[in-house]
Amino acid sequence: MTAGAPRAIGAILIVLAVAPSVLPPFFLQLLTEIAIVGLFATAFNLLMGFGGMVSFGHAAYFALGAYAAALLVKKAGVPMLLALPVAPLVAAAGALFFGFFIVRLTHTYFAMLSLAFAQIVFTVIFKWKSLTGGDDGLLDVWPPALLKSPRAYYYFTLIVVGLCLLALHAIISSPFGYALRAARESPRRARFIGVDVRRHQLIAFALSGLFSGVAGALFAFYNGSVFPDFAYFPKSFEPLVVALLGGVHSFFGPLAGALGFKILEWLISRQWPVYWPLFLGGIVVLVIVVLPQGFVGLLSGWRWRPRGTM
Amino acid sequence: MAAARDDVMLRTVSLRKHFGGVQAVGGVDLAVPRGDVRAIIGPNGAGKTTLFNLITGDLAHDSGAIYFDDTDVSGLRPHQLTRRGMGRTFQITSIFRRLTAFENVQTALLTHHRRHYNVLARATSMYRPETTALLDRVGLGEQAAKPSGILAHGDQRRLELAIALASSPRLLLLDEPTAGMAPRERHEIMALVAGIARETGLTVVFTEHDMDVVFAVAKRITVMHQGLVLAEGAPAEVRANPDVQRVYLGHPEPVR
Repeated sequence: MTAGAPRAIGAILIVLAVAPSVLPPFFLQLLTEIAIVGLFATAFNLLMGFGGMVSFGHAAYFALGAYAAALLVKKAGVPMLLALPVAPLVAAAGALFFGFFIVRLTHTYFAMLSLAFAQIVFTVIFKWKSLTGGDDGLLDVWPPALLKSPRAYYYFTLIVVGLCLLALHAIISSPFGYALRAARESPRRARFIGVDVRRHQLIAFALSGLFSGVAGALFAFYNGSVFPDFAYFPKSFEPLVVALLGGVHSFFGPLAGALGFKILEWLISRQWPVYWPLFLGGIVVLVIVVLPQGFVGLLSGWRWRPRGTM
Repeated sequence: MAAARDDVMLRTVSLRKHFGGVQAVGGVDLAVPRGDVRAIIGPNGAGKTTLFNLITGDLAHDSGAIYFDDTDVSGLRPHQLTRRGMGRTFQITSIFRRLTAFENVQTALLTHHRRHYNVLARATSMYRPETTALLDRVGLGEQAAKPSGILAHGDQRRLELAIALASSPRLLLLDEPTAGMAPRERHEIMALVAGIARETGLTVVFTEHDMDVVFAVAKRITVMHQGLVLAEGAPAEVRANPDVQRVYLGHPEPVR
């Protein structure tokens, strides 16, 4: 981040603050979804961009957060404002447990094992009907009356996502984040400066799961219901595609990706609902070939372009 | 004997490693006294790099033992050995290429000072004077802000030396520290290492193909051949050793 960034962020915050006064509710919902997907993709990118670990199974932690929130509210009668901070801890615990095995592997094997664990989570959710409702999901997972309007939930989401982004930014700027990037660049060299690389990666995995769980919990209350799809593999590819579109080598890339992804999805699937995946495929190819730095690469001539290093 | 032991920084006892049917290191006894600047030479395939990898815990040995500062460190992992004061560089330059030269050294310092689990502090403002001092020491002060991946080859090797020094090692193992450098730069960098060793009492073990460099800085030389120690002694003794001349020094220019 260079000197121009705070000003740009300030401008964006002002736009987001006044948006409800000018935009119809539909767009508020779109912005709410963008914020949630943006958080999910940023949490994912802690691993991919900063840790050099590509997970194909992050839906597991999104779903754990969503289902934990829904179950706490529906089955345990916990108030939503308490369920929201507790649910991500469940996701983090899941990430810590699965991650223990996953970080023992690298590259393709890392990706495949993360996918396998996510499919296990999906199957458990799908089959454990008495707890999760199976295919029917869990319905009526609403926030309290105060937050029920699109406008209120929009502001609520912005605040929660904003705080999480601040935390994620602090993590990558911290000594922990520096050592994580070192492990990405050269695990062997990182060991020989004294980093226990596997443990470092596991902590990063759990943190990534934690914030993915926040995204899942926010989405549960936004959606008013949770479904097994949340853990299914297409959901795992969402943060991957979003981060790639926006740029994995920048902290803000996944946020830019979420914005572009959701707006394109809305524009295209409104016209040709069936062909959205076709367009998405084309866009991904285009971005990878033409803009390897993602959407934020477009800003390369600009002042707050991501620096050569990250 | 006990008194002499205290002065030994690194000792290997019958250290062995084989890959499939190939004996890479076939029972090496090595004793490097504190403050020594020890060259390990030998033709390609003599087992020098494998020996380094065994000592630093990068590879597990088949049998034998490794003592570092009189403690059995067999089976310890690289990051644990680094914590105990064993530093190393690699034959193939190993740096954090997408970090700046400054961040490379800063990260090593942060980790050395056990701050690397801190997720709250802002790393960029930490250990700045120490980082600058180390970069200046290896002659990279001007290059600090550049991504290390775009530095010239020789500068990358200097950077790796600075990274290794950031962990305040008592024993530093350098695997061909001057590989790919111009002759003048080779002497420069090894003079730098020898100077640091003199000032700080650091023990250095290095492998090197350039005999001029070896004879200029090494206090003692160990010659390896086919996974075994062929000879050991002061430079003049080694140079005069007929076995060494036969397998190694006899070549006008060692084949790389």
